[in-house]
Amino acid sequence: MIRTRALRKTYRTGFWMRAVEAVRSIDLDVKSGEIFGFIGPNGAGKTTTIKILTGLMMPTAGDAWLHDLPVSDPESRARLGFLPEGTFFHDYLTGAEFLDFHGALLGIPKAVRRERIPKLLTRVGLGGAEDRQIRRYSKGMRQRAGLAQSLINDPDLVILDEPMSGLDPIGRKDVRDLILSLRDEGKTVFFSSHILEDAEVICDQVAIILNGRIETQGYLDDLLGQEMVGAELVVEGIGEPLHAELSRGARRSIVQGSRFLFEFGDEAAAEKALDNVRSSGGRVRSLVPKRRSLEDLLLEGLRKEAKP
Amino acid sequence: MSSLWRIWVLASNTYREAVRDKLLYNLLLFAALMIASSILLAQVQIGKDDRIYRDVGLSAISFFGVLIAIFVGVNLVHKELSTKTVYTMLAKPVRRWEFLVGKYAGLLSLLAVEVALMSACFLGVLVWTGAEFHIGLVWSIVLIYCELALVTAIAMFFSSFTTPYLSGMFTIALWIIGHLSADLRAFGSKSDMPGLKELLEALYWTLPNLDRLDIKADASAGRPIELARVGGAALYAWLYSLVLMSGAVVLFQRRDFR
Repeated sequence: MIRTRALRKTYRTGFWMRAVEAVRSIDLDVKSGEIFGFIGPNGAGKTTTIKILTGLMMPTAGDAWLHDLPVSDPESRARLGFLPEGTFFHDYLTGAEFLDFHGALLGIPKAVRRERIPKLLTRVGLGGAEDRQIRRYSKGMRQRAGLAQSLINDPDLVILDEPMSGLDPIGRKDVRDLILSLRDEGKTVFFSSHILEDAEVICDQVAIILNGRIETQGYLDDLLGQEMVGAELVVEGIGEPLHAELSRGARRSIVQGSRFLFEFGDEAAAEKALDNVRSSGGRVRSLVPKRRSLEDLLLEGLRKEAKP
Repeated sequence: MSSLWRIWVLASNTYREAVRDKLLYNLLLFAALMIASSILLAQVQIGKDDRIYRDVGLSAISFFGVLIAIFVGVNLVHKELSTKTVYTMLAKPVRRWEFLVGKYAGLLSLLAVEVALMSACFLGVLVWTGAEFHIGLVWSIVLIYCELALVTAIAMFFSSFTTPYLSGMFTIALWIIGHLSADLRAFGSKSDMPGLKELLEALYWTLPNLDRLDIKADASAGRPIELARVGGAALYAWLYSLVLMSGAVVLFQRRDFR
């Protein structure tokens, strides 16, 4: 679906035309029917890569393909749905007019547009707002309209640049659910995000981009593994001596009112602490084993980058 | 799906955007007031000459047409870039040249409607006052429209690579120079300064000669206007516009949208 080889992009910026390497060498392989998370901090090169894929920028070197067609060929975008970061609109249009314009631009027959637009608006939670001008939409509604626009041609591949950015928790959940439903329909979703929890919940495969380079790429289960890297224990009703003893063995300890939270670096230490709490008459509220997270991966990558 | 369809969709949307812009209505209102003001001006002129209606009417159509072509033209293209609405359009199988031609066609249709409305107002004044009407007035309005098409192409050319402020300034400068090019050439031919004659001669042949499109004085005075002159001037305007739009496409094609 998406393939890039040694993709590079260098900008010239400022009065002195200083060269900035936004993308250094990117190889991506996104297979059909997957949710692919393109993860990285702000300024890592995510949006630049996406702009190359969508024909908005030309690469300085390297190649990129969508649906096995080079991205320089406009037809590579015929079965693509795209939501740019920040979602920019012709805000003098109503929601329905906006979708109709984009549908017409893609050559979708009027009868199909007429049938598809109300369904799409309802699907993204904008039912009833179709005749309101977009300038009167809230930020969340604009994001939803942008998502509907990206689906107007019933695409095989959807590229979403920071789709959860700026949304409230309900909006974020709705977008996550929408992405999952797109995969259920057999579509491929490639989305960029710096919100790691969202990516961890919905992605099949991720690539972590740092400073214009892919730091890690692969299936989430392979990257994060199944082994536990620690555990979080929450207890109450323990005395100060036990609290002090458990704190010494924990990586981190926090007092939350009458509760105490301890984070242990391995499962064995957590189990030993659990026994101590029980034998001293304390109450265990929760014990959550911790797997390696995307955040851990990203931080490892950042530490590696920081080393000279 | 053909390029023609995509151009039509882009042009229709450009037209819709422009007609929802309040600036256009303000300019049209001023144009109508200016055309109607010829009735008052006729009261204070010395002697009785109904030419004043035609002079003021044609000048108002031309002046406000150029204002709309520059301000609406420069802003419409730039707004797509600055508000990044261009992203969702060009991330579809839309060629960049189709985008520019679509915008241009949308503006041309807007200008056609606007010139038609001002012309109707002008005709109303002529009928109201009983002033004489010549066919030359129609040819003059046709050439005003051709000039507007050329000015719009200039604005789009500059918009394809620079800011709206600079595009506006450059377009106004070219419009002024375009009306003075014959004078500049004459000035150069009389100059003794080395190189100046050649420079002004080169500018005369390179920059748009908008004086060729200006037959307002002859039309207003009722002097006969040959069709060949009108046809030649119109052809010149459209060919020049074609060259400018081709240049705009070449520049736009290489542009990165950051």
